[in-house]
Amino acid sequence: MKVPAHVGLALRWIMAGPLTVIAAVATMASTPLWWPKGAAGVDNLVFAILLFPAFWAVYVFYSLIEPKVLRGVIIMLAVIALNAVLIYGQF
Amino acid sequence: MSMVDKATSKRLLAVHGWSGVLLGLFLYVVVITGTVAVLAHEIGAWSVSGAGSEDPFSQPLDARVKALSAQVDPQFREELAVYPNAAGSLVVFFHTHGTNAAGDPDDLGVRFLLEPATLRVLQRDEGYGAEMPGDRQSALEQFISTLHISLHAPNPVGLYLTGIAGFVMLFAVGSGLILHRHLIKDLFVAPRRSSRLLNHRDRHILAGSWSLPFGFLLAFTGTFFSFAGAIGLPIVAMVAFGGDQVKMIETLVGAPPPAVTSSAPMASLDAILTDARSRTGQSPDFVSVVHWGKGDATAQITHGPNGTSIDTTNLVYNMTSGVFVGEKPDIGTRPSLGSAVFAWIAPLHFGHFAGLLSKAIWVALGLATSYVTLTGLRLWVERRSATDGWRWLGDAIAIIGYGLPIALVGSAAGFVLAHPTGDTVGAAGQGFIVAAMLAIAIGAGQLWLARAAVAQRLRAALGCGLVALPVLRMAMGGAGWPELLSATNTIPVVIDLVMIVAGGYFLAPAAIAILGKRGRAPTIMHGAGLEAAE
Repeated sequence: MKVPAHVGLALRWIMAGPLTVIAAVATMASTPLWWPKGAAGVDNLVFAILLFPAFWAVYVFYSLIEPKVLRGVIIMLAVIALNAVLIYGQF
Repeated sequence: MSMVDKATSKRLLAVHGWSGVLLGLFLYVVVITGTVAVLAHEIGAWSVSGAGSEDPFSQPLDARVKALSAQVDPQFREELAVYPNAAGSLVVFFHTHGTNAAGDPDDLGVRFLLEPATLRVLQRDEGYGAEMPGDRQSALEQFISTLHISLHAPNPVGLYLTGIAGFVMLFAVGSGLILHRHLIKDLFVAPRRSSRLLNHRDRHILAGSWSLPFGFLLAFTGTFFSFAGAIGLPIVAMVAFGGDQVKMIETLVGAPPPAVTSSAPMASLDAILTDARSRTGQSPDFVSVVHWGKGDATAQITHGPNGTSIDTTNLVYNMTSGVFVGEKPDIGTRPSLGSAVFAWIAPLHFGHFAGLLSKAIWVALGLATSYVTLTGLRLWVERRSATDGWRWLGDAIAIIGYGLPIALVGSAAGFVLAHPTGDTVGAAGQGFIVAAMLAIAIGAGQLWLARAAVAQRLRAALGCGLVALPVLRMAMGGAGWPELLSATNTIPVVIDLVMIVAGGYFLAPAAIAILGKRGRAPTIMHGAGLEAAE
């Protein structure tokens, strides 16, 4: 589906700004649930926090590189929803 | 070839440029203060004419610490921290934990500052850690470190701000990498002389290409430090442990031993320190004891990176028997990949893993990164130099580019002036503000007199300030070179020499002009710098 240029620009800003931050925080929060704990039981915590800048970078670059902005927004929302489900399952 | 198509490349370039224009000067502030902060400990030692003791933990401390413990309220013996400051004085802090007036968790207790060699009490403060007066001997080191960590903004706002700078840098590095059409070729590009704009562009690309890996490393580790404590740990701990803080602490630092509330004599701290030194081959940096005076007291002796070991070493001792219990990672109760990676983050960010050599390399790379930040901004302005609004940004680059180092010189001058008798903690901040105002006044005055010479005037002011600092230090009672060298106290002499050489570099164009040998003025940080478009 083709979106008007000004809508596409607005969606890309939303995707690279607030959606990227939310997705990065959500991914960091869910990482301890699937990352191996390691010998001391801390690897899942350390790598979740350590990779937070990497999560942000991946999402922000994806937001700017994805040619179809609408598809990008849907994927970002799906990532956030998936992480939210994982976190919700913990409580 | 570029990794992305033309439209994406154009989009990335636009965000790369605009994020740089909007936040580039802010990024420069964080990077250049970080570059200076790499040497904060050495600058701290310079400010007090060197440490009074080569190895503060080699003095007989046991009897003194035990005598001090008898002077404090028993509740403050819950925990003891002992560490040296910039002057080699020992900080001995007996404390418990509470909530300060700002509502933040804080250490509450009595802090002593002991003179090197004599172990005489120089300063005694009681209360919450955040509310105590600063250590007057470490004021300059603390001022520089805090400026980089949080820009002296209240927490967590300051940490968020520097974290945002980390994100900007991470994006600049990533987009620079993607946009590079010929990355390998750009590592060896010879700056063209056919046009000034092309020359500056080539220099920016050359410096940027070489500093890409370092920029990535700094941005990644710096963002970690900004967000790990303020956002990361609370969120991750909440999810991983479902809000169970006791379980979290047991996982991160280990379960406390069975509580023994009865009093017990403490083993010799000196014997423990001797044993720790023999195990690691180096002097400790930090000593902490939990439950001082009780049957379950435990000591942890921490040794920082020393060139042979990149990460910290923590040795644990039973404080009632003095028996070595074992080695403990920084995080977790036994070695793991996560604790090993965590232990590398600080050495890689601060560059202190191989002593002064690695620090010097980190300073050089930090200066290169600052140069890339400023020349990137300058290129943006040069391309739009016909527009008056962009020329104002060019002036702002010159004023902030030189003004911040001038303000740092001012903070050092403020400290040195106040050191003999005054309040050094306040003086370091006041000196910074006064010098910053002075730099702004020089810049603004020069804009009115002759706009083209703003950068030259500020550069000369920076040069004068740097050259004056060693003289000022000695004039205010600081030790002279013969005295320092005879005591093998070389750090202040090295810092003096660095300041004189750097000051001479910044003053050279003005001196040449005065001597009538007008040539092309050298520029800040290795060449084509702030005055390029003047």
